[in-house]
Amino acid sequence: MKLLKIAAAAATGLALLAGTAQADDKPVVGLIMKSLANEFFQNMMAGAQAHEEKRGDYKLLAVGMQNETDFESQINAVENFITQGVDAIVVAPADSRAMVRPLKKAMAAGIVVVNFDVALDADAKKQQNIELAFVGPDNRGGAKLAGDALGKKLGAGGKVVIIEGNPGADNANERRLGFEDSVAEFELELLDSRTAHWETEEANTVFSNMLTAHPDIQGVMAANDSMAIGVVKALESAGRDDIVVVGFDNIPAVGPMIADGRMLATVDQFGTDMAANSIDLALEVVKGGPQLEGWVKTPIELVTAN
Amino acid sequence: MTTQALSETMPNPSRFSVRSALQNAGIGLALLALILFFSVFTEHFLTPNNITNILTQITINLVLAVGMTFVILIGGIDLSVGSVMAFAAVVAGKAITLPGFGPAEAIALAVVAATLTGVACGMINGVISAYWALPSFIITLGMLNIARGAALQVSDAQTIYSFPYAFEEFGSAMIYGVPVVFLVALFLVLVAWFVLNFTVFGRLLYGIGNNEEAVRLAGHSVYWYKVAAFTICGFTAGIAAIVYMARLNISSPIAGIGFELNAIAAVIIGGTSLSGGRGSVIGTLLGAFIIGVLANGLILIGLSDFMRQMITGVVIIVAVVLDYYRAKYASK
Repeated sequence: MKLLKIAAAAATGLALLAGTAQADDKPVVGLIMKSLANEFFQNMMAGAQAHEEKRGDYKLLAVGMQNETDFESQINAVENFITQGVDAIVVAPADSRAMVRPLKKAMAAGIVVVNFDVALDADAKKQQNIELAFVGPDNRGGAKLAGDALGKKLGAGGKVVIIEGNPGADNANERRLGFEDSVAEFELELLDSRTAHWETEEANTVFSNMLTAHPDIQGVMAANDSMAIGVVKALESAGRDDIVVVGFDNIPAVGPMIADGRMLATVDQFGTDMAANSIDLALEVVKGGPQLEGWVKTPIELVTAN
Repeated sequence: MTTQALSETMPNPSRFSVRSALQNAGIGLALLALILFFSVFTEHFLTPNNITNILTQITINLVLAVGMTFVILIGGIDLSVGSVMAFAAVVAGKAITLPGFGPAEAIALAVVAATLTGVACGMINGVISAYWALPSFIITLGMLNIARGAALQVSDAQTIYSFPYAFEEFGSAMIYGVPVVFLVALFLVLVAWFVLNFTVFGRLLYGIGNNEEAVRLAGHSVYWYKVAAFTICGFTAGIAAIVYMARLNISSPIAGIGFELNAIAAVIIGGTSLSGGRGSVIGTLLGAFIIGVLANGLILIGLSDFMRQMITGVVIIVAVVLDYYRAKYASK
């Protein structure tokens, strides 16, 4: 145990040396993402690394997490970045409350903090007495785009179900709310709404069972494309081609499904650019630009066959 | 002396079968009660389509649970099967999408790749835990991370897709409403049942679970039997990967998170003792059905996701408590 602590201290020391050494010439940006097991963040990191190479006037330190619920490692990452004396921290919080306090510490240390992808909780920010802008997509608005496409297709009275993301996750909530906005606006009938934890296989199972319970389903709103793929497979094995599916994220695997009509639409929130754009904004502030304020909305776009 | 020790650890097969048949009958009754309950309280439960659904939905868990039965029977545990399944699926996904192969060769390549990956991971689990006599709990926990990391590394964390059409056909093929993938799983159950009950190898696995020392004193190499049990578990994880790919037509590196727990649950609910030496793969089959019927039926009834999870947990605990009493009365 003691040995581990010594090793950890030594590692921190080395990181500290490395960090300050690099800070001499170019500004250093620490990028904190969520689970790199998620295609979305993997693409985002690739985008950020390409961006670093293209701009060439800053040094990128990127870290991710083991899984979506590994909050601890994000907090550790913030603390490590403070120790390393980075100029800016660009962070996609895994938990909208837990991250507020460590980020406050970073700001107090004079580091420019940009919050992107998932907004920090407004009450928690007020409680800690900090002002922090949010750079990111409107998940609720995006989900509503997809939901509206479905609503237009089905018309009033259309019977739909929602496949939700992880319960409690902010983007899962927002997307569910967006879908529900569409349900209300187009006077759709919501038969059931369940989580499949963002995962294909579980969505396949959960949706098959929903379809058994409600054979009259006409439309499905899936909170991400991985789950939409599971739904499409369930429809194929049930021999149903009369049910309309929409997803979210625009991952490459759904391209063919949208092209041949197995899916009606998905939503692109340009994850690859999102981190890169946030880094640009952070560097502006580092160079003496004005502080960011409010909600800097990033583009979202409905993707359909035509 | 040694033969006496061995016969004590391995009950005579016919007597053993009667006891295990009685035990299975109990689990079967519980399953029947569940089926009856859902048939009465939901409209669609006992329809051909829904039965087909349940069979499809339990297939992956059943395949994993068959291998898990071998490991638990020798008193071990394998926490890595979900990750190994994902790793095998990703390796097979890479193989099946290699350019320059016809559909048949590509599928054959994928099947070989998935099973070899599974077998290799299982063998590593077995060799390390058996050679150093280390708790398999911790070795396979390590493998859980290794295989998950490898799956993400090999796939660049991207979903692999667009497999040959014939592969997808296999995944959704039915014979009289019974999914072919389920028949594959059922075949594995039958083979496992035969091996465990009617071969020296199988009886020795029970023996190791009951009294490892006695088996060793009788002159058998406990080491290789243990390695074999873990290798079989890895093999079934490879088969599960093929079923996953054929069913969903993708390979996802984040597939199978937590599947090991469902597989363990199926084995335990099926009456196999966590301390090893007692249980049967027929019980595992029934256990997988109980989990699958619960998951399906509770959705049809309209119960919330959270309640569903709670009930599944309660069933697992009840099964373990029942096992305690079963062991107590059996030893009298």
